[in-house]
Amino acid sequence: MPGAIAFEFPQLYFTGLWLTIQISVLGLISALIIGTLVAVMRVSPIAPLRWIGAGFVEFFRNTPLVVQLFFLFLGLPLIGLRFSTDTFENIFRAAAVGMGLYHGAYVAEVVRGGLLGVDRGQIEAARSLGLSYTQMLRYVQLPQTFRSVIPPLGNIGIALVKNTSLASTIGVAELLYAAEIVESRTFRAEEAFIAATILYLALTIPLGIAVNALERRMLVAR
Amino acid sequence: MRPDTWPMFLNPAIWGFFFEGLRETIYIALVSVALSFVIGLLFALGRISGRRWIRWPSIFYIEAVRALPVLLLIVYFGIKGSALFRPIFGPDFELPRFWAGVLGLSMYTSAVLAEIIRAGIVSLPRGQTEAARALGLSHAQTMRSVILPQALRVMVPAMMAQLTTVIKDTSLVGTIGIFELLRQGRTIYTQFFNPVEVLLIVATIYFVICFALSRASRRLELGYTPRAARVRIQDIALRDQSA
Repeated sequence: MPGAIAFEFPQLYFTGLWLTIQISVLGLISALIIGTLVAVMRVSPIAPLRWIGAGFVEFFRNTPLVVQLFFLFLGLPLIGLRFSTDTFENIFRAAAVGMGLYHGAYVAEVVRGGLLGVDRGQIEAARSLGLSYTQMLRYVQLPQTFRSVIPPLGNIGIALVKNTSLASTIGVAELLYAAEIVESRTFRAEEAFIAATILYLALTIPLGIAVNALERRMLVAR
Repeated sequence: MRPDTWPMFLNPAIWGFFFEGLRETIYIALVSVALSFVIGLLFALGRISGRRWIRWPSIFYIEAVRALPVLLLIVYFGIKGSALFRPIFGPDFELPRFWAGVLGLSMYTSAVLAEIIRAGIVSLPRGQTEAARALGLSHAQTMRSVILPQALRVMVPAMMAQLTTVIKDTSLVGTIGIFELLRQGRTIYTQFFNPVEVLLIVATIYFVICFALSRASRRLELGYTPRAARVRIQDIALRDQSA
């Protein structure tokens, strides 16, 4: 049976799968927070904030994630910043932060599109009713973007799950790393990678179907 | 950061080293994109084919490959690439690492390009096909001289954007021993122990190339793209942007 090798090395595969899920969830949460903040900066009335936001988005979107991960795990400790004194904890957190920053830039673009899509009349009405800018953002502009940004955010989530495999390059023992170790121990490359493939597909295909279904419903509703 | 680590970058030999890596990066990206375009076009046509035995395998290939991390494909071909070709080229065949990297990258990129091309084809009004068929063109002729030229033209910006993704993805083939830009940088910093400086330089080089390309692809607006196609393209761009 394809993938049976996962049960011969459950320690490696299922711990790896669990780490993949953890990095995905932590990365997605931080990406959403970072992305929303940057998006708000990018539409703010203060010009320097807009420039910083734009710089953040362009930098993180146009450099490879691996370079960012290497910088977080090798570069930062040298300038005195460490996520944790424990080595394993350090690379794990570096991976999660890297996922958050890189995908945060993509989230920022999506949320910005959503914010700009809100009818200007809504914003003007809220302001003329006496809401402050932050109140307007919180109660009027941001809630209205939710609907339109959910399907694209789902797509970013799928990309994020796939990209957690890059954490293996800085030594996080996630799913791909597990497959590489099993391959080097057993020389059964096909089985080792097919097991990892099946586990990745088990994460990404249901997500993809869910996002597509959501998208179709929203296209109809619009 | 030590104060004495920057002057070493005045040495032209270091830049020669970076340049070799950059050349490899660009070379592997261009070869992969060219190969993926051909494979992607075949799968895009396969996916809209009327014959089930062509359509279903195409859908399976595209959806399965798109759902996988590109690094997994690269590492797999890095380890197993030679063995895959031994039945064809004899038992002593060794797949050069460069081609193992190209295979991994192309397998992924071809699935993405297939989706982009299909989005272009589907976005064209049905009247185009109907008019061509009514004029007596065969299915193949309709595709070749009516549908594909228009669809590909509309999709040029999206395919250029995909090229930026591929350039970023080439940073992954360093893991299977191809000396591209990041790998060259890693060699330098393991020698001189200055990852901060080297990684900043490497990131800047990638940034300049990718930023210029993504700007150019956004400027390029070849003809009218229907809204449904634009939504589709945005989906693909978000879901399949890797590394």
